[in-house]
Amino acid sequence: MTKAKRALQAVALSALTLLPAVARAGVVVAQGLGLPPDASQDGHKIDGLIHETLIFIGIMFAIMVAWMVTACLIHGRKHRAEYAHTTPRGQKLLVAIVGVLVLADAELYLKSLFDMNDTFWNFEAADQAKDVVRIEVNAHQWAWQARYAGPDGRFNTADDIVTLNDFRVPQGAPVLIQLTSTDVIHSFYLPNFRVKQDAMPGMVNRLWFKPMETGEYEIGCAQHCGVNHYKMRALLTVLPKEAYDRWAAEASANSARGFDADDVVAHWGWDWKDPKPVEGDVPRAAEQAPKSQNGKEG
Amino acid sequence: MDLQPIHPEPKSFLRRYVFSLDHKVIAKQFLWAGLLFLLFGGTLAMMIRWQWAYPMKPVPILGPLLLSKTGGAITPALYPAIFTMHGLIMIFFAITPILIGAFGNYTIPLMIGARDMAFPTLNMLSFWTFLVSQGLMIAAFFQKMGAAAAGWTTYPPLSDSVGTPGWGQTLAVLAIFVTGVSTIMGGINYVTTVIRFRAPGMTYMRMPLTVWGLWLTSILNILFVPVLGSGGLLLLLDRLFGTQFFIAGASAVNGGGDPLVFQHLFWIFGHPEVYILILPAWGILCDLLSFFARKPAYFYKGSVYAMVAVTLLSAVVYGHHMYVTGMSPLLGKGFMTFTVMISVPAEILFVNWLLTITKGSIRLEPPMLFALGTVFVFGLGGLTGLFLAIMSMDLYLHDTMFVVGHFHLTMASASFLASLAGIYFWYPKMFGREMNKTLGYAHFWLSTVFITLVFTGQLVAGYSGQQRRLFEPYQYQFLHHLLGVNQWTSYFAFALYFTQILFVYNFVASMFLGEKAAENPWQVGTLDWATPSPPPHHNFDVVPLVLRGPHELSDPEVIRSLGRDWIGQAEALPDERPVAEPARAAEGGRA
Ligand SMILES: [Cu+2]
Ligand SMILES: [Cu+2]
Repeated sequence: MTKAKRALQAVALSALTLLPAVARAGVVVAQGLGLPPDASQDGHKIDGLIHETLIFIGIMFAIMVAWMVTACLIHGRKHRAEYAHTTPRGQKLLVAIVGVLVLADAELYLKSLFDMNDTFWNFEAADQAKDVVRIEVNAHQWAWQARYAGPDGRFNTADDIVTLNDFRVPQGAPVLIQLTSTDVIHSFYLPNFRVKQDAMPGMVNRLWFKPMETGEYEIGCAQHCGVNHYKMRALLTVLPKEAYDRWAAEASANSARGFDADDVVAHWGWDWKDPKPVEGDVPRAAEQAPKSQNGKEG
Repeated sequence: MDLQPIHPEPKSFLRRYVFSLDHKVIAKQFLWAGLLFLLFGGTLAMMIRWQWAYPMKPVPILGPLLLSKTGGAITPALYPAIFTMHGLIMIFFAITPILIGAFGNYTIPLMIGARDMAFPTLNMLSFWTFLVSQGLMIAAFFQKMGAAAAGWTTYPPLSDSVGTPGWGQTLAVLAIFVTGVSTIMGGINYVTTVIRFRAPGMTYMRMPLTVWGLWLTSILNILFVPVLGSGGLLLLLDRLFGTQFFIAGASAVNGGGDPLVFQHLFWIFGHPEVYILILPAWGILCDLLSFFARKPAYFYKGSVYAMVAVTLLSAVVYGHHMYVTGMSPLLGKGFMTFTVMISVPAEILFVNWLLTITKGSIRLEPPMLFALGTVFVFGLGGLTGLFLAIMSMDLYLHDTMFVVGHFHLTMASASFLASLAGIYFWYPKMFGREMNKTLGYAHFWLSTVFITLVFTGQLVAGYSGQQRRLFEPYQYQFLHHLLGVNQWTSYFAFALYFTQILFVYNFVASMFLGEKAAENPWQVGTLDWATPSPPPHHNFDVVPLVLRGPHELSDPEVIRSLGRDWIGQAEALPDERPVAEPARAAEGGRA
């Protein structure tokens, strides 16, 4: 007994000495941690859900800890335990707590479903927007290639703009991306726009977002893709509309001048996929994916 | 019922301690093998943490020993091998053998009143097959092109012979296949033993919840490890014989296969695996919380059905690991629906635990503290799962450190602390000696505090956007400011690692210095404590006749007639006539 008490004291003391460390960590945490700035039109929907969930689980966790601590502190060795396999009050509590959790889950679930249908999976609406910017992305170890259709609106033609790790988009217009990989699986990750989509060899995946704030933003790879996974970084620059148009016209003219019809490897683009999929149908790109390219130049 | 036939007690050293058929010896073999690999896996984790705190700086102690070629620093090429081997080792070669191999073997026969497993030879083979798989893992480290490096998920095409060439990856995939064979052998054994060899009167609804958890886990193992096995086998064919089951895109010659199919096969196994690792822990928690609160486990049947429901649902939620792979929205919605549903039985269990410790007579012994610690980290881990189950939040959080923090809290921390709870609890039975309690308290507080800080640190990094598996996260501008958090997380990780010295010392030294353990030091009624510590070769001199459930604590009638707050499952009250089958009417709420 006394031995145990002494041990507890020792442990409490060592826990106290830890406090400064914990406090220091708290300070570090306070220094600008949290979600990266949101530069998109719809990111706030995800942020809102995240904050809501955070508050909810914070409350649940606090209740749980308070319950555990109270139960252990007020009814120690001296208290005579209650002999019951279930109690009416306990069952009511069980139903109530599980009920609250289910309701909260359901609320988040429905909100998310609505957001997915309405926004993040609504490729059709993005595609129909007059000012939509369509980009084809070819991921390979360890870089992101982007292809814009150019003035003719068709991919894999002489006026395509092709860039490496350099994405430019206009402010306030939906950006619709179709993406594939030529080697291993990568994941196209835009932290400031709250979206992410795997680039799968043999498949064309899609994502869209609408950038609202001008500036330079980072694109990362989120799926382990080999030795230099950590370096698979690209930049996305959001430009004012006029600046973007100027850039696009210039870049397209440049690539038309440098076009080499025989350079098959460079023509990795594909015909733009119909934005309106039948549910359950995943567009396949196996036929179009370039076979001759070996993605190991990185 | 006839006595279960028992193999004669072996006389030679080799048959007794090495090629033993005795479930108690095999359990200890699994325990040692698992603890050893836990140390390996933990050491690898420390190297990762070092790299994140001090990128490219020479690793102290280990660097000069293992990485002399690079001046002691971790290179980009070495780094994926470290986290891949860390994950594989921890999941398949540390937690699995400890929770399932050791506790399953030790507790199932003792707790259901059997003299041994149903198939003792298969049991022995299961351990030796497991040892072969561990050997293959070790061998993978010494291959010319390095160890396996495609991540523990081993996604093709990265895991094919072009993406990750060399024998390291091949041997690791082979090791998983072989360890799967071992797991299935063990699983068949556990499932059969529980069905066939329960002592008379040990109905399903009188089984300790530890046994329930282990039994359901074994069923999941038998069902889903073969799926992993087939995925692994096809991957081996791709690697070794040039087939293209999982290769597509430019790397494929003539058509090719589909890398997404592998992910389906992997997660059909992989999600149940989460429950495979947590169900035994849940079962142990249910029992220990009741024992040390000196109260019956609250709503026993509810806990049983909740665990059964989790088992049934576990195979239809796996798609939440694949929300961003580009699978069809319809499929995604289905998986999200099931994922939200599977949280209900887990919540029921949780509330049952809290109600079990309410109005008790709490004894904060080391096993109880570790059980409470498990509830704490599992609560945190389970709640953070909500972010990842809901699709639109997963769009942002998928494949970030948030996921890493989440599953390290649920799978790693919870099963680690539950394993420790189990070790502190059954140690006196296993080794016939008591562990030192003072060291136990210190070990608990330090471990729980540090483990929580480590993995909440990872949650914070992921919340701020840091992807997982980055050799050097600070290549990214938007992650620059996370160096501080990552360093602190690393310090806590190092502290957690070195805290375990307390345990290693206590575990080893108590075998020689510990006080001799009594038959029933915790004063509980399950059958494992109704036999000497350590139990004789045949476990029970007389096969017990079970009369009641596992948690009959603080029954006023028992206190009145026996003068103590517990009664054995096979112990008759002075005025009670032992009957094997529960008489429904008389049983009332007691079963
Ligand atoms: Cu990548
Ligand atoms: Cu899962």
